[in-house]
Amino acid sequence: MILGVAPGRSSTTVAVVRHGVLAWWRAYDGALLPARDGESLPASARASAGSLGNGPAEADLGEVRAACVAVDLDDVRAAPVAAIRVGGPCPPALGPQVTHPRGLATIVRGGHSLTRRPLAPLDAAAVRAFAAGCGLADFAVTATGSPVLADHELAVAELIAAEVPGARITLSYEFGRPGLRERERQAMLNAALRPEAERLADAAASWLEGIPLYFARSGEGLVSAHYFRRYPLICREGATAAALHGAHALPGPHSGRAVSPGPMGKTEAAPTGPADRGRGSVAVSPGSVAGAGEGGGFPPDVVAAFGAALAGPLAEVERIVQARGRAELDRALADARDEALTRVVSAGAAPGSARIGEVTVNPLSYLPDGLYRVRVTAAGTTP
Amino acid sequence: MIGREDLPVLAAGSRLFATGAAESSFQLAVDWAGAVLDTPVELVAAGDLPPGTLCVAVSLVGSTTALGEQLPEGQEPARAVRALERRLGRRAGAVVALNLAAENALLPLIAAASLGLPLVDGDGSGRVFPLVEQTTYTLGGVSSTPLALAGPSGELVLLETAPDRVEETLRPVVLSFGGWGLAVCYPMEAAELARVLVPGTVSLLLEAGRPGAPRSVAAPYGVRRLCEGRIVAVEGSSGHGADVTLPSAPSSIVVEESEGLGRLVRLEAHNEIVLALADGAAVAMAPDQICMISSADGVVVDVDKASPGMRVEVLVLRAAPAWHTEQGSALGGLRAFGVPL
Repeated sequence: MILGVAPGRSSTTVAVVRHGVLAWWRAYDGALLPARDGESLPASARASAGSLGNGPAEADLGEVRAACVAVDLDDVRAAPVAAIRVGGPCPPALGPQVTHPRGLATIVRGGHSLTRRPLAPLDAAAVRAFAAGCGLADFAVTATGSPVLADHELAVAELIAAEVPGARITLSYEFGRPGLRERERQAMLNAALRPEAERLADAAASWLEGIPLYFARSGEGLVSAHYFRRYPLICREGATAAALHGAHALPGPHSGRAVSPGPMGKTEAAPTGPADRGRGSVAVSPGSVAGAGEGGGFPPDVVAAFGAALAGPLAEVERIVQARGRAELDRALADARDEALTRVVSAGAAPGSARIGEVTVNPLSYLPDGLYRVRVTAAGTTP
Repeated sequence: MIGREDLPVLAAGSRLFATGAAESSFQLAVDWAGAVLDTPVELVAAGDLPPGTLCVAVSLVGSTTALGEQLPEGQEPARAVRALERRLGRRAGAVVALNLAAENALLPLIAAASLGLPLVDGDGSGRVFPLVEQTTYTLGGVSSTPLALAGPSGELVLLETAPDRVEETLRPVVLSFGGWGLAVCYPMEAAELARVLVPGTVSLLLEAGRPGAPRSVAAPYGVRRLCEGRIVAVEGSSGHGADVTLPSAPSSIVVEESEGLGRLVRLEAHNEIVLALADGAAVAMAPDQICMISSADGVVVDVDKASPGMRVEVLVLRAAPAWHTEQGSALGGLRAFGVPL
């Protein structure tokens, strides 16, 4: 049994999914991550989530293998970020774009070309001075050439950690994409989301204590709460993505999926009606709503929670590798595969379940010497 | 005149058939152009310039991925143009494009704006070829050298060699720069340029880039649809066993046609697609341009981003008449890409 959780603005929806089928759901009053002046989930809700309230008697916590949270991060409060770009000087229009009024950015010398040649030694003194003087705790580091060689990003991270204890540091190479400015934007956005992502992960962990916790990625798949704290950006549209998958899997005119009659039958409310949060739980027999439309006529949060619970951990690695000849390319590919497998386990896959999904290798146009863009995805299942 | 307000239209027009344009480097070129277009750039016909005006062609050499990763320091156009002026002992009076695909439509504009020079309405290709010498300028007997190349870390190289040795001399230099450089080349007088360029192509992009304009506006010599289908395989290729000096490794893309005969269309790519085979028969080839348009968003799919599962429309653009001569076909046809057909 897997729980899908969709945190809303004023309520939190929990769906119980058994063997890929929506078995039961309920919307609790109160937000999982309340606004500063908002109402949090009442203790009673927490208690009832513990036993799943008026849910099916067999749905006790012992059976729950994982809880998968589907959340969009568009509305969360962004933190001010200290951005460090490692590279050469550039026209101001191409410099780091700071959006937060208290955000700061600097460019320090260093970085590598795509051919792994050092452009300049890393200006460690400039990194230290900026880190010590910026007064911020959320850092985004982007070095020229890091999809090929991340040494300078890692070195900057060490320097920051020494200057600013407790700093949260995002390194752009983790996002893989070539294109310095795009990667920098992603790193800055990720860094800005981290404090709120931590609060959200803390709130979910305390509400669903003892249950392995996952978050839905934008696109498809899940990552562990631990991974989510570090890379919230990859879950930025988690609820939207989960809702899409959920709607596709629920009975509807466009879905060929067979739905077994739910064990609950129709107990407390009109089976096709939307949830009435004021009146406690609503149980629905999935079989009774077949044909009600894409998403089965369920409230959007239920569809998202359901969609999240269907997914498994997923991770990807994108690198630029240099390889002369087939043997070197094979070795580079093997490294990328290993890294993807390690990463999907770190994203919460049961170690035995981790497997390689897609491998894409494209030669880079207009560059000699065998430079390739390599993309590897790895997938697994929740424990 | 081309001002800041015209930039989005020119940018959109320049991408309609451009392959090999990395999103990051293209956006970088747009932002760079926006920053230097304080004063609009004058767009002139080559024939309207005083005949003795020195014109220079501007082009990116190397990889757009490298440009998107290692950013320009901003003075590359000025450094390269000034170097060529020093060598020739005279001032440049106008800038012209080598070709008008994506970044290469914007870099001449950036150079013209940075130096306060007019931009000539036309280019040396009418499409894009991977080699510096594959231009209608070469077909018209103009040498690409002396050529000045500026790199992002302050590098500057002046190249003087026989035209057919430019490419092999240039590539290692570009690589030592980190993968890209800005070339200023084909110095010639306006009267000569008027004779050898594909005219009016900048205006054409400004027209084709307007919202609602049909894509075919950017293809003055005609465009046809080869097929629509799904990419089923992307493979490395042997390079057809030919020994030619070309940047990057060859690859093959197989598209399964989703309508009509359901043919398997094999696209042989070497930086860009040079040959299309439908069930084994050649149906399109260089010097005509073959490109894949994503069915999802209407954007050209780069050869190095093609992946199985993508739905694409394969289009063939007829090249300018100069390319369909015997000489043009030798310079830009299949054999120039190492395919012995």
